[in-house]
Amino acid sequence: MSVGRLLGVGTGLLTLTLLAGCATDPGSQPVDVAGGVPVGAVLALTGNANVYGQDQKIGLELALQHRNGAGGINGNPLKLALEDSGSDEPGANAAFTLQINRGVLALIGPTLSQQAFSADPIAQRRGVPVVAPSNTATGIPEIGFFISRVSAQSSVIAPLAIERALKIQPGLKRAAVFYAQDDAYSTAETTIFQKALKEKGLDPVTVQRTQLNDQDFQNQISAALREKPDLIVLSLQAVDGGNLIRQLRELGYKGLIVAGNGMNTPNIYPICQKYCDGLLIAQAYSPELDTPANMAFLKAFQAAKGGAIPPQLTAQAYTALQVIGDALVRLDKRQPLKGATLTAARKALMEEILAGTYATPLGEIRFTPEGEVIQTQFFVAQVRMDPGGRSGRFALLK
Amino acid sequence: MDAALLEQMLLGALLALSVYLPLRCGQLSLATPGFYAVGGYVAALLSTGVPAFAGSGATSPLPALLAEMVLGGALAGLIALAIGGPVLRLRGIYLAIATIALVEILRVLNLNLPFTGGAMGIFGIPQPFAHAEGYVLFTLALLALACWLCQRLEALRLGRAMAAIRDDELAAACVGIDTPRTKLIAFVASAVLAGVTGALAAHFFNSWNARAGSFDASITTLAFVVFGGSRLWPGPVLGGLVLTALPELLRPVGDLRLILFGAVILLGPLFFPQGLVTAERLHWLAARLGRGRHRGRQAPQAP
Repeated sequence: MSVGRLLGVGTGLLTLTLLAGCATDPGSQPVDVAGGVPVGAVLALTGNANVYGQDQKIGLELALQHRNGAGGINGNPLKLALEDSGSDEPGANAAFTLQINRGVLALIGPTLSQQAFSADPIAQRRGVPVVAPSNTATGIPEIGFFISRVSAQSSVIAPLAIERALKIQPGLKRAAVFYAQDDAYSTAETTIFQKALKEKGLDPVTVQRTQLNDQDFQNQISAALREKPDLIVLSLQAVDGGNLIRQLRELGYKGLIVAGNGMNTPNIYPICQKYCDGLLIAQAYSPELDTPANMAFLKAFQAAKGGAIPPQLTAQAYTALQVIGDALVRLDKRQPLKGATLTAARKALMEEILAGTYATPLGEIRFTPEGEVIQTQFFVAQVRMDPGGRSGRFALLK
Repeated sequence: MDAALLEQMLLGALLALSVYLPLRCGQLSLATPGFYAVGGYVAALLSTGVPAFAGSGATSPLPALLAEMVLGGALAGLIALAIGGPVLRLRGIYLAIATIALVEILRVLNLNLPFTGGAMGIFGIPQPFAHAEGYVLFTLALLALACWLCQRLEALRLGRAMAAIRDDELAAACVGIDTPRTKLIAFVASAVLAGVTGALAAHFFNSWNARAGSFDASITTLAFVVFGGSRLWPGPVLGGLVLTALPELLRPVGDLRLILFGAVILLGPLFFPQGLVTAERLHWLAARLGRGRHRGRQAPQAP
């Protein structure tokens, strides 16, 4: 046999193996509730967004415990399958497809807005409800009927931090803006920040662009500091943002810093350490909210994490699973899941999710018909670092 | 194994072939992801902006996909043709650096051009196939075509000229091979293949942004070829298939999966410095299989 023919045969065999391996769509099968009611989550547990995924994972675990402690879905436990999406789009696509083929009734995730624009259309096409716990960019629920989110979009939250900065220091005149030009979240949020600044009469004196994977920001910082800013507004993710704040302070900037939702996690403490102090970030969650739902969440979190204060990402992830759990309980009472086909159950679940009102750690929330969250209360927190600079807390500003 | 992962593997194999083509001519070019991104943008822009390509908005007609692939490949090829002359004067590591710069320039352009959607890119790209299986069959056909062309190259004057340049450029020039032209052909062919693959991938991934063509992607595609072997086309194909699938197949391992993946990439070149596929191993395999067949054929003649 010649090498050429061998290759031909090899290619043929490969083709056959590949085709034989193709899975069939489980949509027409009945829902498999034997080992529990299946729900999937896709989070960024690796890559540069893993700092968010870690926070979210705890939230999901706590919500699962809470739901199953309260009887699961009318006696049948909720079963959560968690998959890592990495921090890029192909990873999110692959994890979404894997979960959908497993026959989950609903999906939570993906962590990043950029991943959502790529992976959500897959769920939409296959008719699987998605509740996004942390996508804040404009246009996510608009991807389709099956896509919703519990994370309020940045256009609602971001301007609050600017208002607060002006309240702390009314004489602010010169704002400098930083954002990562190759990141969907950053570019979406910075337009909202810049619009809010203009509305307050604070035209940015300089807008500096960085890259998501940058480590060294000396050039951009030097250029910005030449303009003598008294307010700096960042739309950056946790790792690059933390490094930028550190370098900003090291190069002598003393004024106020406002950051966006990307830095809204205690996982920034090890990155910017003592320099995180004073950072202003608007919040969609307040640990001080005095409702039974929040108190239960707070208690569970503190029991699990030795008295720490839960971050917003954890509360939102908890809320996402709670929303799905509550909707499943109502749906199962109305028309039992057992025996229904997967496709029909998924569609009915989405309708149920959108129709409900939920008492969550974020306060009382419900959804618009598109799947956008309706939340009433927002807050602004300031980071307070401990003297050693190793740990700190998000202090709510009254 | 599910069809979406298969599709990603096949796309990986196509990209690996695109890195292999210049290497076949001794040119280490890392420009593949840049051309891949260009092809993807062509498809994304046409199918979201031009009604004839967009179809119903959710599904797009197959001829439109073919047209996009031709246009995406053509644009990538034209860019390669335009810059190939000066860039291919560089050799070895300098060529690699210049092609990385090209990828970076294309990426920054894609981020900042008014019509490419910035960092968010272009999303809601209509689908020519209802299921991933459709993509798999289509891509398989494309890969088979690319492999067949690569195999043909072994017998063609052009392919032999490329091999001669890889082994010794000076000697090749001395026997009358037009080395600049041959290198340019390999570079343009690589760009066309990457552009065509990009056009297909943009549909498959639903959204397209500048991250498709990044430095990281350059290294990943190079790893396909280093892992699989750069001398024969089955090497990059195998490398592309295996290295794309591995992170997904290792999912049951949990948190350790990326560490294991890294270890495989590290150990591959360590134990197989020429890559997994070499001429000796193929001949050995062919001989073993051939002996089996041979014996089978001779059996009836025995008394």
